[in-house]
Amino acid sequence: MSVTAMEKTIFLAVPIEAAWGFLTEAKKLEQWFFKTDADFVEGAAYTLYSREEEGAKRCWGEVLEMSAPNRLRQSFTIAPLGGVMTELLWELNAVDGGTRVKLTHTGIEAAGDAAFGLMSALDDGWDKHFAHMREAANG
Amino acid sequence: MTAQMTDATATFKALGDPTRQQILSLLCEREMTIAEVADQFEMSRTGVKKHLSLLEKGRLIKVREQGREKVNALNKEGFSQMENWLKFFDRFWDNKLAALKAAAEKE
Repeated sequence: MSVTAMEKTIFLAVPIEAAWGFLTEAKKLEQWFFKTDADFVEGAAYTLYSREEEGAKRCWGEVLEMSAPNRLRQSFTIAPLGGVMTELLWELNAVDGGTRVKLTHTGIEAAGDAAFGLMSALDDGWDKHFAHMREAANG
Repeated sequence: MTAQMTDATATFKALGDPTRQQILSLLCEREMTIAEVADQFEMSRTGVKKHLSLLEKGRLIKVREQGREKVNALNKEGFSQMENWLKFFDRFWDNKLAALKAAAEKE
């Protein structure tokens, strides 16, 4: 994890178009993420519901940018965050034998940066930053 | 997710402002009264009080009475809540992306 964003990269042994479908189509999103009423549309709001609990809202936001099959950007919040919006960026690249999918989650981290900005050791990991912050907080 | 995470909104709001970030930076050095904080900014005491109040709501600082003064200090619990959130999302995405891989490669 970097200081400015939470990054995750996975490799999927499927073509890039198929991977794109799993990020943007209602039927495929439901298989791994949450239930949703409609496929993603650029500029449109989306809501994701629990797969177990009928009608329970889990995540929502807006589809900010769709450049199939390479780039999807969406605002994103979950119920306990009470509407504080974070942002997800999905970047897909065709590689040998499949697709590399990189997810960058910012917003949570941006808020965290405010705390980290107080500390000088910016090259350290998150845990170390928090340890520093705790020390400072403990006086 | 634990119950303590449900106040996250106030914490994020408190952190999302440059003046409040500067105030936290000052309080990293030492505890300060409202007047001491206000001396560092070209802003009314009322304005500073408002920022301090939001920081307190976000549980990032603690305020204690000392005689007639109110002393502001960092609150470690507010920051550990942030840590919980980062850990939460770290696990959340690890789980979800593993599920994505399983679902995509099953077809």
